[in-house]
Amino acid sequence: MSGGGPPRKRNFKIEEFKNRVELNPKYAERTWKVLEHAIHEIYNHNASGLSFEELYRSAYNMVLHKYGEKLYGGLESTMTRRLKEISRSIEVAQGGLFLEELNTKWMDHNKALQMIRDILMYMDRTYVPSSSRTPVHELGLNLWRDHIIHSPMIHSRLLDTLLDLIHKERMGEVINRGLMRSITKMLMDLGPAVYQDDFEKPFLEVSASFYSGESQEFIQCCDCGNYLKKSERRLNEEMDRVSHYLDAGSEAKITSVVEKEMIANHMHRLVHMENSGLVNMLIDDKYDDLARMYNLFRRVTDGLLTIRNLMTSYLRETGKQLVTDPEKLKDPVEFVQRLLNEKDKHDKIINVAFGNDKTFQNALNSSFEYFINLNNRSPEFISLYVDDKLRKGLKGATEEDVEVILDKVMMLFRYLQEKDVFEKYYKQHLAKRLLSGKTVSDDAERSMIVKLKTECGYQFTSKLEGMFTDMKTSQDTMQDFYAKKSEELGDGPTLDVHILTTGSWPTQPCPPCNLPPEILTICDKFRSYYLGTHSGRRLTWQTNMGTADIKATFGKGQKHELNVSTYQMCVLMLFNSTDGLTYKDIEQYTKIPASDLKRCLQSLACVKGKNVLRKEPMSKDISEDDTFYFNDKFTSKLVKVKIGTVVAQKESEPEKQETRQRVEEDRKPQIEAAIVRIMKSRRVLDHNSIVAEVTKQLQARFLPNPVVIKKRIESLIEREFLERDKTDRKLYTYLA
Amino acid sequence: MGLGGGRVRFNVGGQVFETTTTTLANAGRDSMLGALLDSSWNLAPTISGGGGGGGGGGVAEYFIDRNPACFAVLLDLLRTGSLHVPPQLPEKLLYREALYYGLLDHVRAARWGAFDGDRLLLAASVPGRAPGDGTAIRAAPDGGCCVAHGGAVHVYNWMLDERRPVSLDHSQVNDVAYLDEGTLLIAARERLGSMMEAWPCSPRFNEYGIGVWDRASGEQADFFYEPPGCALGDADKLQWLDATNALMVATLFPKTDNCFIGLLDFRQKNVVWSWSDAGTAASLDDKRVLHAIAMEDERSVCVINQYDDLGFLDFRSNAGGVRWSSRSKLMNRKVPGEESCYPKLSTHGGQLFSSMNDSISVFSGPECVLTSTLRRSNGGAICDFSIGGDRLFALHNEENVFDVWETPPPPII
Repeated sequence: MSGGGPPRKRNFKIEEFKNRVELNPKYAERTWKVLEHAIHEIYNHNASGLSFEELYRSAYNMVLHKYGEKLYGGLESTMTRRLKEISRSIEVAQGGLFLEELNTKWMDHNKALQMIRDILMYMDRTYVPSSSRTPVHELGLNLWRDHIIHSPMIHSRLLDTLLDLIHKERMGEVINRGLMRSITKMLMDLGPAVYQDDFEKPFLEVSASFYSGESQEFIQCCDCGNYLKKSERRLNEEMDRVSHYLDAGSEAKITSVVEKEMIANHMHRLVHMENSGLVNMLIDDKYDDLARMYNLFRRVTDGLLTIRNLMTSYLRETGKQLVTDPEKLKDPVEFVQRLLNEKDKHDKIINVAFGNDKTFQNALNSSFEYFINLNNRSPEFISLYVDDKLRKGLKGATEEDVEVILDKVMMLFRYLQEKDVFEKYYKQHLAKRLLSGKTVSDDAERSMIVKLKTECGYQFTSKLEGMFTDMKTSQDTMQDFYAKKSEELGDGPTLDVHILTTGSWPTQPCPPCNLPPEILTICDKFRSYYLGTHSGRRLTWQTNMGTADIKATFGKGQKHELNVSTYQMCVLMLFNSTDGLTYKDIEQYTKIPASDLKRCLQSLACVKGKNVLRKEPMSKDISEDDTFYFNDKFTSKLVKVKIGTVVAQKESEPEKQETRQRVEEDRKPQIEAAIVRIMKSRRVLDHNSIVAEVTKQLQARFLPNPVVIKKRIESLIEREFLERDKTDRKLYTYLA
Repeated sequence: MGLGGGRVRFNVGGQVFETTTTTLANAGRDSMLGALLDSSWNLAPTISGGGGGGGGGGVAEYFIDRNPACFAVLLDLLRTGSLHVPPQLPEKLLYREALYYGLLDHVRAARWGAFDGDRLLLAASVPGRAPGDGTAIRAAPDGGCCVAHGGAVHVYNWMLDERRPVSLDHSQVNDVAYLDEGTLLIAARERLGSMMEAWPCSPRFNEYGIGVWDRASGEQADFFYEPPGCALGDADKLQWLDATNALMVATLFPKTDNCFIGLLDFRQKNVVWSWSDAGTAASLDDKRVLHAIAMEDERSVCVINQYDDLGFLDFRSNAGGVRWSSRSKLMNRKVPGEESCYPKLSTHGGQLFSSMNDSISVFSGPECVLTSTLRRSNGGAICDFSIGGDRLFALHNEENVFDVWETPPPPII
């Protein structure tokens, strides 16, 4: 704060430097006249004749001699007078010249204001702050605002002109953007409030009604894609306009007007537009349109939510059709491939058009999770798909391709709620692959196991890994067996035994069939060798799972090598000693379970090109009264003939029931273990909390049914692991 | 706008100066010299348009009807950025001329250097006219100050010119604070408060607790009621801690028998840290905390007792007592029987300042080592001091005089 005059008490010292001033009352008047004249000359562009130093000194002297108020008042009234004249000259400007004139006068005024401020700088520094007046520059702006911008003849005309020009530009005309820029800058210079009240507010209102009308027009005649294109263009135009000649602060406001009028108000109509709405874009992979929609809708409240909701309901609907259509369930591989294709398609849309938006990815995932679990055979089918790929589908594929396919399968696997069902099937399919030696690539198998392990943990895959170990040790054992016992065995048939750990493999206990004596000898030799090297073990023959290669000579001396199952071998070996046997005979000699025997005979006698047996009477199905003969007319172009067993690749209905039941049985101890774990740590808990916690603990593997959980709790109470609270029946207490 | 390679010639009060437009550009456009050379005032095709007669050698000459001796000093300031005032030139005269040219801020900036507690020199002793003892002195952000004196506050600008005193109907002024260069807060006894300081919002207190007033509107915005066991209403010292967002409140001897220092959290309305000597001090001879100040790192609070010992309290532990560091060497200065003032503390730029009797001690470094002592031979005990605007103001109890200490501009080499 540097106010007041110089210190008066030291007058005697500064007197010698002061201008000699007679205290003539006319002095102030005369000095002011000089300054007033100068102000007029400045406005008249006639400043070249003025001496700055003289004028500055005059203003200084007036302030020094306490005529500051007179100086300030004089300035205010002189400037007001000049501005009124300017106002009149702007008013008379015709049509298009109006803005030009306004702009020119504004430039003049600014220039003059600067010069006037120069002269009165001393007043600005001393008199103005100490008497709380408006500084000269600000005063000049305020006066311009009051006498030019707010003059009744100019105010509305200015606004109309500006809005009219903007409208013209929106309709495609070229306007003088430089002039527009100068005028809006003038309004901003006069203060943000002037710009906002006298221009921005009406501008936004007019824009809103313009775009409201235009959007109505567009939506009547355009499809969704075109409408979005037009909206995007309008939005860009407005942003361009702001950057060229409006204040930067207007951008958010005008874009929000366009967004509201063009998008928010028509959002639902747009996404649901017939033949061109969101669903059609998704079906037709219209990446550009989808990206445009995403970028525009992102700007408005609930815009993305609208897209997401519609996309989710569309996905769920189509997904539901996909997984419940009985036609499509016939081929599991095709079924899973369809799911994968669907996923790929939408992944690409989200990636390309929706900027990898996390919320959209989540919506996609939750939709898949929803509909995949609508079909309880999904776990089986996914396992079958992997089975198919690992059997043959991956032949010739590079390691990376394999990884890609397996990763995609894992993605589907993640959606499964019943992961334990998948595990069950996977085990079955893996066992078949391993025992029949159908695995294409050991690396691919292991890679899949590793993926399952990372996804579900060690427990999930320990048995699967056990199967691989068994395969390896079996190989070693067989080598050792032949190395040590080869001289004992002589020329008998070659035996290849897989020693499977009970529990790791999906084996059912099944009574062994009667093996042919040739085989039985070597089997017994192996048994004694194995039990001799491994004490305390028990060997059971799983004759239902083996295969055999046998050589056969047919009628014309044709020799063929037949690749058959153990059961089939047993049947065929019977025909070494006789040409014809009844079904009953065969059943009696071999002791093969009836259903297996029928399948086995069917494949030997009823498949065209592989019918090494002849059946009487000829028919498709096997009945217990049939008689079978060695078919010596059998011919084949191949030396090696593979005779498959007639098996449904998919499970039959009763098998499915059985698997389901086994899964349910397996779940019981898991649920009980979870309950005990929870109760051990909590001691006392109410029913609903237990159900919630158990569900949470187990959901990585499957979704336990609350009814089942309740049954398990009851069973645990019976076995005195838990007890009900005596007062509150809903509470359980853990009994250590 | 001079011709001849940016050279400009001035005739100031008959003495000719020649300089360059580059030098004059240092004055800035918002000065008389800046405007004088601006193109808008030099449109005239003839050189003589500048107001003076046409100079020789094709160089424009501007006539200025002012004191040439002062102009020489100011021109030198523009040339070098440093101020050298010849001994025979009165400072007030220079200030007046600087104001004419619009160069007062340049002079202010070059007049003294950035504050350094160890390089302070006595710049002025300003005698006051008011009767009785001064209550408080406060430094303004621009280098001025104000002195609370009975029922009025005497305000000085940075040139140490006294302005019209301010008062609240001449009721007893307890404390004053600068909100900014132009706004002064005054706490007087008739009002509720007993003291306040300048923060984003200004708390002050009554017997029930501490109120918060909004700085812009002047409305009371918040109130912190006194919790049991914490004496807030009579606090001697309030200090806002920026980093911890807490208010330090200290109620000290001799206003109360038991000293209390606490940190208040205004959002949670609780006391986050506190210390009290209740129950430990038995007799008057025990060490009593007389003043307290939070250190600038906001990890500890520094306190001082009646023997001028400095002590420290750690904000990070709640149980610890005062860690006193003995200053017996300094105590020797104390003349028994002489009228003394209670010691005061202040921190600035990592240094700690404490007033005792007629001198101010400066402590530096993390260990607070005594590095300087500021003392004048006469003037009596220092009752209050304040640092601001790169100056230190010390108010003396007797003779009603305050000293101004400044750091001289940095040495030439």
